[in-house]
Amino acid sequence: MALPDAVALVDLALKATSAYGRPDLGRRLQATRGRLSDPNVRVLIVGEFKQGKSQLVNALVNAPVCPVDDDIATAVPTVVRYAETASVTLVKESESDSGEPLPAQRSEVPIDQLAQYVSEAGNPGNRRQLSYAEVGLPRRLLEGGLVLVDTPGVGGLGSSHGAATMGALPRADAVLLVSDAAQEYTAPELEFLAAARQLCPNVACVITKTDLYPHWRKIVDLDQGHLRAVGDSPRMFPVSSTLRLHALRTEDTSLMDESGYVELIHYLQRDVLGHADDLDRRSVSQDILAVSEQLAASMQSELIAQEDPEKATALIEQLKVAKQKADDLRQRSARWQQTLSDGVQDLTSDIEYDLRDRLRTVSREAEHVIDQSDPKDTWDQFVSWFEGQISQSVSQNFVWAIQRAQYLAGQVAEHFSENGAALLPELNYGQKDFQSGDLRHMEKPELETVGIGSKLFTGVRGGYSGFVMGGMAMGLAGVSMLNPLSAGAGLLFGGKTLHDELKRNKQRRQADAKQAMRRHIDDTTFQVGKDIRDMLRTLQRTLRDHFSGVAEEMSTSLADAVMSAQKAVQTVEGGRATRIKDLRAELDRIENMAQRARALDGAGSQAAFSSGAAALGAGR
Amino acid sequence: MTSMTGGHAVSGATLGAAVRNLLSRAIETYSDSPQAAGWLRMHLTRFDEPLRVAIAGKVKAGKSTLLNALVGEEIAPTDAGECTRVVTWYQDAPSPKVLMYSKGGGAPRQLSIHRNDGALAFDLGGTPTERVDRLVVDWPSQSLRGTTLIDTPGIDSLSTDVSARSHQFLAPEDEPTAADAVVYLMRHLHSGDVRFLESFHDQGVARATAVNTIAVLSRADEIGVGRLDALMSAKRIASRYRSDDKLRDLCQTVVAVAGLLAQTGRTLRQAEFAALTELSTLPRDDMDALLLSADRFVKSETTANLSTEARGSLLERFGLFGVRLGVTMIRQGMADPTKLSTELVRRSGLDDLREVLNIQFTERRDLLKARSALLALDLVLRREPKPASQPLAIELERIMSGAHEFAELRLLTALRSGAVKVPEDARVEAERLLGGDGGATPARLGLDPMADPREARAAAMDALGRWRRRAENPLSSRALADAARVVMRSCEGILAALPR
Repeated sequence: MALPDAVALVDLALKATSAYGRPDLGRRLQATRGRLSDPNVRVLIVGEFKQGKSQLVNALVNAPVCPVDDDIATAVPTVVRYAETASVTLVKESESDSGEPLPAQRSEVPIDQLAQYVSEAGNPGNRRQLSYAEVGLPRRLLEGGLVLVDTPGVGGLGSSHGAATMGALPRADAVLLVSDAAQEYTAPELEFLAAARQLCPNVACVITKTDLYPHWRKIVDLDQGHLRAVGDSPRMFPVSSTLRLHALRTEDTSLMDESGYVELIHYLQRDVLGHADDLDRRSVSQDILAVSEQLAASMQSELIAQEDPEKATALIEQLKVAKQKADDLRQRSARWQQTLSDGVQDLTSDIEYDLRDRLRTVSREAEHVIDQSDPKDTWDQFVSWFEGQISQSVSQNFVWAIQRAQYLAGQVAEHFSENGAALLPELNYGQKDFQSGDLRHMEKPELETVGIGSKLFTGVRGGYSGFVMGGMAMGLAGVSMLNPLSAGAGLLFGGKTLHDELKRNKQRRQADAKQAMRRHIDDTTFQVGKDIRDMLRTLQRTLRDHFSGVAEEMSTSLADAVMSAQKAVQTVEGGRATRIKDLRAELDRIENMAQRARALDGAGSQAAFSSGAAALGAGR
Repeated sequence: MTSMTGGHAVSGATLGAAVRNLLSRAIETYSDSPQAAGWLRMHLTRFDEPLRVAIAGKVKAGKSTLLNALVGEEIAPTDAGECTRVVTWYQDAPSPKVLMYSKGGGAPRQLSIHRNDGALAFDLGGTPTERVDRLVVDWPSQSLRGTTLIDTPGIDSLSTDVSARSHQFLAPEDEPTAADAVVYLMRHLHSGDVRFLESFHDQGVARATAVNTIAVLSRADEIGVGRLDALMSAKRIASRYRSDDKLRDLCQTVVAVAGLLAQTGRTLRQAEFAALTELSTLPRDDMDALLLSADRFVKSETTANLSTEARGSLLERFGLFGVRLGVTMIRQGMADPTKLSTELVRRSGLDDLREVLNIQFTERRDLLKARSALLALDLVLRREPKPASQPLAIELERIMSGAHEFAELRLLTALRSGAVKVPEDARVEAERLLGGDGGATPARLGLDPMADPREARAAAMDALGRWRRRAENPLSSRALADAARVVMRSCEGILAALPR
């Protein structure tokens, strides 16, 4: 359980909300509590084929979890997280015919059989259609909520694996780009890195197999040079998984230092996990401050009325106006609502247009390619080129869509807080702008359920929904309308008549090929378009419900405040003094809670961090 | 005992003569068009030159190292970062010379030759690499006598200009490539490799003739991350690739080679042997600790009498795997440097590669040359058609469809790609009879090279009968019947060449 201090504070706040009769605020805190109990800091391990990703994961957790072999390739993502006892579960997610997500099918398998399910050899092309494999291990490294995800090798953006991995990026907390020390970065790697940065800013680079290559330092220099040339300087970690595993076996600390894993683990624990923890603490802090503010509202206004009855009337008027504003916020005519609904509408049509545009370009190019050759000779090559083009187009469209959606969410939040900021004026309480806080941060947990990288592994298998990039593109390979060519003499420069006959057939073949190709583009456009609309609809619903909820809470608080101020005016003279004393006491208690919340936010940067020796310990 | 290696040499010569004849006639016909005539004359000359084998692959696939291994000398420069940036030809000649050809034609410029720690250093004298079309290195070497090797820049260089040079050389848009055959290096099968192999698979006119490409699984020791059994593992992977559907269509076979080990094995120095021997005297545990990583090998304190520098050089030359293997072999009793050299080269897979090159390229030299020449002529006929060229076109067609060697190659391609469907065991036999495993008679019949001619005759008659039955069987598909007839013709050729 991560962040016990935060959890304790949330529990305290929950008690307060029930004591003060605010179940609505209690519900929000329950959600916060839920997030804390399953922190899930996702680190995506990506890179090209055979660069040492799986071995990296194995070395980090000191267990032969991900299958590694000279000839083996990972076909299915593997998620490694903390568990009391070691276990392996295969997960298959699916949708019903109407597109509703069905509960995932989970089946446990013995650890030594994992290779059969996740490698290309045992499960070629993932024909078993697994969404991912989940491995639970009792490891200190994972205890804080770190989740390592081993992904299939990316063959550049134009591969189906590449597209699928892109889909997982928006919800990754960090990405490790893995490349071995045999040679400097290639163009496909740099291209992938550039795209990945746009979806997940937290990218670090790992250079593997330093034990094998005497020139690894030069490669690291060259790599850093390539990155600087495009204005990038992410952290870079040269490592050797072989040395690390050896060091763990022989408990050799100097070898452990040479393996480079100390710095990498330090980064994962402090920069990645620590940063995520900081964000969580801040989120909790803000939630609790918001709750405190609202809880205090009615008591504070009563206190003012009690202490200074003349001010009471003016105060009540102010509060009524504020409540009206809060109610206005819940109206569809509120600015943020307009921004949201117009924004989603615009976004939907923009994204769909962008997709259609890209696919139209692909279609035109494909027609041109078909015209240049005879499909019977080139069909396989054509299909793999075509699939690659589609994957790339959908990937690029996806990246752009995510960025626009995130921007829209930010705009909506801004417009909401512009109108909602000054709602509780006289109630001088710490964080006034609780709504606007760290927008980018607040968004993230809320949008967990939205398609902006909706459920992670639906994301991993495909950008918008699980079935687009992985499944669809394969469909074309099944189209076989080619007549096998009869071999024999005259193949090359046959007699005139044979040549003519071949030509006639070829034209027909080309026409058929174009038709199949266009059909596939239509299907893809349709499917992806539907997924875009679904994602944006969910986005709209989530944002609307969230901000409406906030407005409603504020309205309730203000209504309570009005009522208690009114009651105060009617209090009998004698009771005032006691009442004031009680109120101050309650308010002190709430202020206490708020203080703790503020302290929680600051606590992150002072979090103690483990030393290098613990890197050894993290292996246990 | 007369040899049976005659095989198709007779018809090979006939083919060569026919092609030379045709080219000469064409030069006469196009004497009024200087560009066409010049082009044809160049190809006629080229016909008699050594076979041109291009070495292609991605950046750092090990092309220059492999070239050095094949030549047996460290001449092509290599480096940790990207190195070869210009197409460089290495051809046999009486004395060493380097000529630089610029883009846009003009006379070549002679460059001075320096040797930089073994490898040649090319000083372009201020000319930027973008302006260089190619370098041609004359180098006296037995290994280059029958084959000119062409080193190319990585096809996926970060500098698109550099990779464009390779593309332009290997798969030019509208003309046949200047190479007769290609050795394609890849460290493991990647979609980029398949795409590239497809791009210089025959295009247009010569689509139906065989692809003259061999794939090499390079840096094979690294596939097994430097383990002692790395090469066995690599061989298994190469074997798997050989039967991969995608690759079968694009290359004739796949061979695993550890280029660095091959290069160093062939150029092993006495001092290096002494150094390895010195290391082998270390106690087992010290040895293992030293060989744990490249850094440790070079920097650790050790009782072995070998300086840090010397160890560094050893690692440069052998790679970690090479050092591990060399030391192990000496420990196991290898005391002779020549024997060590031979064994390292054998283990590296270079011998296998040379055998494959021999069968697939050298033995087919005339055929590959003829094909290149005919493609060149075809280009002229298409670009500058005229009434007088009509008989040339007919003759071209006659040679292409009539020459049995071409028919064999076409059928081999069709069988490998699955365009012609034949039962599996029949396919294996057909490929063998057509010369897929070697053009010499014993290879075609699957017999021992020293086998009795009588045995060969019996086997050939047997095969002929079998395939005649297939050709005449009414239930055979048209494709199978046509294929059977080609195989029959090959058997008849074998019989004709056997001594009576």
